[in-house]
Amino acid sequence: MSVLQQLNSPAIYLICGSVIVFVVAMCIVFMLKSYRAGLALGMDKTKLKRAVTSSITFTLLPSISILLGVVALSGSLGVPLPWLRLSVVGALPYETNVADMASKSIGLSGLNASEMTPQAFTTIALVMTVGIIWGLFCCIFLLKRYMKKVNGAEKKATKTKGGRNFGDVLTLAMFIGLVSAYLGSYIGQFTADKNIVPIITALVAAAVMGVFYYFTEKRKIAWLDNFSIAVSMLAGMAAAVVVSLV
Amino acid sequence: MNEQQKTEFFETYNNGIHRFGRIMLTVAIIWMISVPFAMGVALGAMPSMPAFGKAIAQVALIYLPVAIVEFLIYAPMLGSGASYLTFLTGNVTNMKVPCAVNARDICKTEAGTPENEIVSTLSVAASALTTTIVIAAGVLMMVPLAPVLENPVLVPAFNNVVAALFGALGCKYYVKGLKIAILPFILMSLLCIFVPSVISNVGFLVIPSGLIAIGVSYLLFKKNRL
Repeated sequence: MSVLQQLNSPAIYLICGSVIVFVVAMCIVFMLKSYRAGLALGMDKTKLKRAVTSSITFTLLPSISILLGVVALSGSLGVPLPWLRLSVVGALPYETNVADMASKSIGLSGLNASEMTPQAFTTIALVMTVGIIWGLFCCIFLLKRYMKKVNGAEKKATKTKGGRNFGDVLTLAMFIGLVSAYLGSYIGQFTADKNIVPIITALVAAAVMGVFYYFTEKRKIAWLDNFSIAVSMLAGMAAAVVVSLV
Repeated sequence: MNEQQKTEFFETYNNGIHRFGRIMLTVAIIWMISVPFAMGVALGAMPSMPAFGKAIAQVALIYLPVAIVEFLIYAPMLGSGASYLTFLTGNVTNMKVPCAVNARDICKTEAGTPENEIVSTLSVAASALTTTIVIAAGVLMMVPLAPVLENPVLVPAFNNVVAALFGALGCKYYVKGLKIAILPFILMSLLCIFVPSVISNVGFLVIPSGLIAIGVSYLLFKKNRL
């Protein structure tokens, strides 16, 4: 049995599926609690139903892009783990980046299907899980007190999102730092090892993202943004196949 | 229900949401962390703790501040119930926050009201359930596709997932903050060209690169040049 077949075994599906079922149950309980509270407060049933239906329609397209993320990661990590990671807590950019860092820490050259071992896989899974858990701790220990402090501060928060405060800039700068380190390493791989595949992959993905940017920002077709990262990545990955075949 | 009764009811509801949310998130954390070990039992290969320690130090350096900033910014926008669900189900900025804001716009609820809190919670719960169903349906269809995905011709594609990601993200973030990006990009490229041995430790390169980007952004922010 190959490593990838082991990662796609029924046992792994069962382990990952159990968490997803738990999260689904939690969502249903929250939904019922808030729906009943809304009715008790005298809210219109139509309004409550609209909140649900509008959210379902809003989410459908981005969900398909998340599914493409599962496809993108499935070749190196199997299907069940990306399915779990992208259904619970995670997001595609985080998972891919962290999986790559974890791969290197265990001695692989990167998130690399051909070098994957069962121990590398379980280590990657642990790093992916723990590395993004901070938001949950913030909720458990800080949310109640924090919400009391900012009670009635929705307007203030909305203003923060629209304007550019240093919190926004800091987050942007951290991601730029992250991206710059990786892009620099691809240029280095080209000059040092004559390995052109990573930089071509990155350039094609960036070019496709640029096309998305044009249509979403200049032409104001906002829904396309839901697919921008996943489709750009798939285009870059297709370029990697073509360059490797040439 | 008069206004005072409504306020009392909402306070009881809100306390219940916090209690339930805290318990459920604690259970979720324990369950999620046990998953890699359960996989270790199933595969006969437990996670390597030294490798985990090395990787988590790098990951926390980047994602701990990001998580705190996200929590501080988005929790007041989402409300209590929606925050517990959002931070558990992920895809915060690209899906849950815009989805909740959209639902509140459609339902025309006012900021800071109980109605707003309830619509946000309903919205995020519906969004999370929709995503789970779409992905589960997609995964079921993917099982027969497994032999195709394992084809050797496709190996370079999956070996370069990270390059594809950073190409796409590079375009996205560089467009948003070109002035911040120029210096770290040039310095990191020069470093990797002239000291190729650092390429294999790109995880550590992120630290100086991030610090340079933060420094540049702080200066530009102070001078109002962003």
